[in-house]
Amino acid sequence: MRQVAFNTHISNKFNTELENLRNSVLTMGGEVEQQLVDTLKAIKLNHAGLAEKVVLNDLKINSMELQIDKECLRIIAKRHPTASDLRLIMTISKAITDIERMGDEIERIARLVTKGKLPSSQSVRSSMLLIGDKVAAMMRGTFDAFARQDERAALDVYNEDNRIDAEYKKLLGHVVEEMEKNTDSMQDWLEILWALRSLERVGDRCKNVCEYVVTLTSGEDARHASVESMMQKLEDLS
Amino acid sequence: MLTLFEREQLDLNNLTDEQTAIKVEDLNLKFGQKQVLEEISMLIPKHRITAFIGQSGCGKSTLISSFNRMNDLHNDCTYDGKIYIGGRNINSRKENVSQLRSRVGMVFQRPNPFPMSIFENVCYGLKLKGITTRRQLDDAVERALKEAALWDEVKDRLFEPATVLSGGQQQRLVIARALALQPEILLLDEPTSALDPLTTLFIEELMAELKKRCTIIIVTHNMQQAARVSDYTAFLHQGRLIEYSDSDTLFTTPEMKQTEDYITGRYG
Repeated sequence: MRQVAFNTHISNKFNTELENLRNSVLTMGGEVEQQLVDTLKAIKLNHAGLAEKVVLNDLKINSMELQIDKECLRIIAKRHPTASDLRLIMTISKAITDIERMGDEIERIARLVTKGKLPSSQSVRSSMLLIGDKVAAMMRGTFDAFARQDERAALDVYNEDNRIDAEYKKLLGHVVEEMEKNTDSMQDWLEILWALRSLERVGDRCKNVCEYVVTLTSGEDARHASVESMMQKLEDLS
Repeated sequence: MLTLFEREQLDLNNLTDEQTAIKVEDLNLKFGQKQVLEEISMLIPKHRITAFIGQSGCGKSTLISSFNRMNDLHNDCTYDGKIYIGGRNINSRKENVSQLRSRVGMVFQRPNPFPMSIFENVCYGLKLKGITTRRQLDDAVERALKEAALWDEVKDRLFEPATVLSGGQQQRLVIARALALQPEILLLDEPTSALDPLTTLFIEELMAELKKRCTIIIVTHNMQQAARVSDYTAFLHQGRLIEYSDSDTLFTTPEMKQTEDYITGRYG
């Protein structure tokens, strides 16, 4: 793991700008993480008010994306960053798109509660919460890895997505069985399917952010790398 | 909505007197028959760094030289219009030019230390002003050299010739010489063009510190430098002020096509 210090430039102002930029991503990540926690709580308690809050809060996350993007643009134009500084800014610019999309997916899940369309089957709901908790843990790990520029931690989180995908496929089979039993409420089940898909997609977005962390720390482009090569990287770091 | 990044938003068309370091009104300047500056009007904010950019010959050096009447040294220079500094029109015939130049310091492209000691260089202007007490001079020299971030490097050899210093040190010495007079405004005409990139960054960092004490105006050919150091930027072309705004806006979304063409290297 190669950790780059972003506070050692001759220009103190540039140090502050990069620090603020990094912090802003963590603030945005923290907001999205809270959105997911609130959504899972709303599902558990069937709390429409809390879910409504999540839907409204998504506007805040959208605004954060715009502000951070503008700041990246400003720093590129004014500072002409190179090497690790440039990688940091490009990484942030890409990561916030994924983080914003996580917010959109979470909003979609929250709408299931506001519309009163939670699955009636307790086992489906429990499995959904179980996956939700795993995605929340993955998200925490992702932002921790970003904050610490920890390539190893990022690869660990990356690997976690495989487990979530497996759980998701299992639950999908269960939902299809329920659909076959309750063909009269097909529309509601489709909405549940979409919400489940959104939950799984949040995991994928975390995986993307982990790839950016690997790119930032190692300088190698980790996008579209095979799972095997990423795991090999993890083994090499061990 | 949560604001992640705080940005100063001064309205350059409506600065209060408190916020204004220099007010330029309808300034026209000619060298002989050649019109060098045409109808320049602008407000320059206090305690900020304002950069002037533009092609060679666009009038940017002439404009900043107007702020301490250096153009008066050219016999064929004529001008009209008003420049207010501290509420007084410095273009007035009654203006005491040598006093003005101690309030508005200037540093040029090439470091120009006088052929005397480091100490004598810094206190040269003070002596001209009639300050001769050793104690006062010592204090002023130390303060100015500290402000110019040079004290630690020269404190043990203050009486050595200034010419033994490196280029970057000489330029900081010249800045210290200007600072010794505690100017309200510091004019920097291409202050780093003769320096290496790292020394340039040190001088730029120095500017960021100095703006707490005085207003800084810099002329530079290096657009990256203008972008890095300045809070506000003015783009001049053929003696006219084309665009003047905060540097964030000018370097990301300039309003005028001429500015866009210049900063993106499309000028032709």
